[in-house]
Amino acid sequence: MPSLNRLHLTAEFRAGARAGFRAFLPQSIGLIPWGMVTGVAMVGSGLTPVQAVGMNVIVFSGTAQLGTLPLIAAAAPLWLIVATALALNLRFVIFSAGIAGNFQHLRAPARFGIGYLLVDGVFAICVEPMLRNENPHWRLGHYLAPALWAWALWQLSGLTGILFADAAPQTWSLEFMATIALLVLLLPMAGTRPMLVAALTGGAVAIALRGLPLRFGLLTGLVAGILAGFAAERWQPAAVEG
Amino acid sequence: MTGPVLPDGGTVWLSFFLLALATTLPRASFIVLGSRVTLPSRVRRALRYAPAAALAAVVAPDLLVVNDAVAVLNPRLGAGILVLAVASRWRNPFLPFIVGMAGLWAFQYLA
Repeated sequence: MPSLNRLHLTAEFRAGARAGFRAFLPQSIGLIPWGMVTGVAMVGSGLTPVQAVGMNVIVFSGTAQLGTLPLIAAAAPLWLIVATALALNLRFVIFSAGIAGNFQHLRAPARFGIGYLLVDGVFAICVEPMLRNENPHWRLGHYLAPALWAWALWQLSGLTGILFADAAPQTWSLEFMATIALLVLLLPMAGTRPMLVAALTGGAVAIALRGLPLRFGLLTGLVAGILAGFAAERWQPAAVEG
Repeated sequence: MTGPVLPDGGTVWLSFFLLALATTLPRASFIVLGSRVTLPSRVRRALRYAPAAALAAVVAPDLLVVNDAVAVLNPRLGAGILVLAVASRWRNPFLPFIVGMAGLWAFQYLA
């Protein structure tokens, strides 16, 4: 009886969705301030509300959006904007590899959509339970429910920030919200010595070489920061592998 | 100071689509391609340092450079230091933004 079988699988999907949603709900509240701040920073940087909503939907990555806003606002070359976003988001290949095995029964477009929805918090709550459960429908539900919730929450809180900033006067320098956000993101990253060295080197080189054409200084700072991080590991007893 | 002057609308939308590729392709990479590869440790480490280096390279000139010259005493740097102090001490996610903006306005007024 295929219909009964189908019903059973749907129940599995729903059970997974409930479990995933419940696991993610408490920490998902943390997305709200970030969504709002990103919305304010986008409009504060000069985007129109329509462009800001578009960026939130198309790009859907807080770090990449905030990190590239100062560059977009300064009319930096496109390749540099893309290179910066890649530097901020390439780490997601690790997450992608971590959960890829759960979705191989799906078609490629569906898997692409699953990739688009992948964010840190959802990965964190999904990876363990999905390894333990054998049922692919349960695992899909466990991923999709929190991932879609994160997407909706991000869009709604972003819209709130966008509408607020659109009503605020330009003299408020709201583009500084992006700078504040980047500092807050940077702070926990600089917790270990190699990471701190990578950040300090990246910043110092970017400032020192700011006169280079096409903002080549930023790219040089990025590469120098990574190399400095590697170098700093050598002077640290057995780096912790993350 | 007036607000930032953006490139024309077409360039802005083009940058969004390129950004979407830069953010979605890494996330979708293994999920779409499906191979179960473990990345070499050197690559994993480089991927860990890249965000810190990139964020700092974007934010440092923003805080320290005024009219193409390094300025140690400027409202943005003052506000940035306040933000770091507040964010390292308290966990409230809104506080760094409130204190940072208030600090920026206060320092701009004093300058």
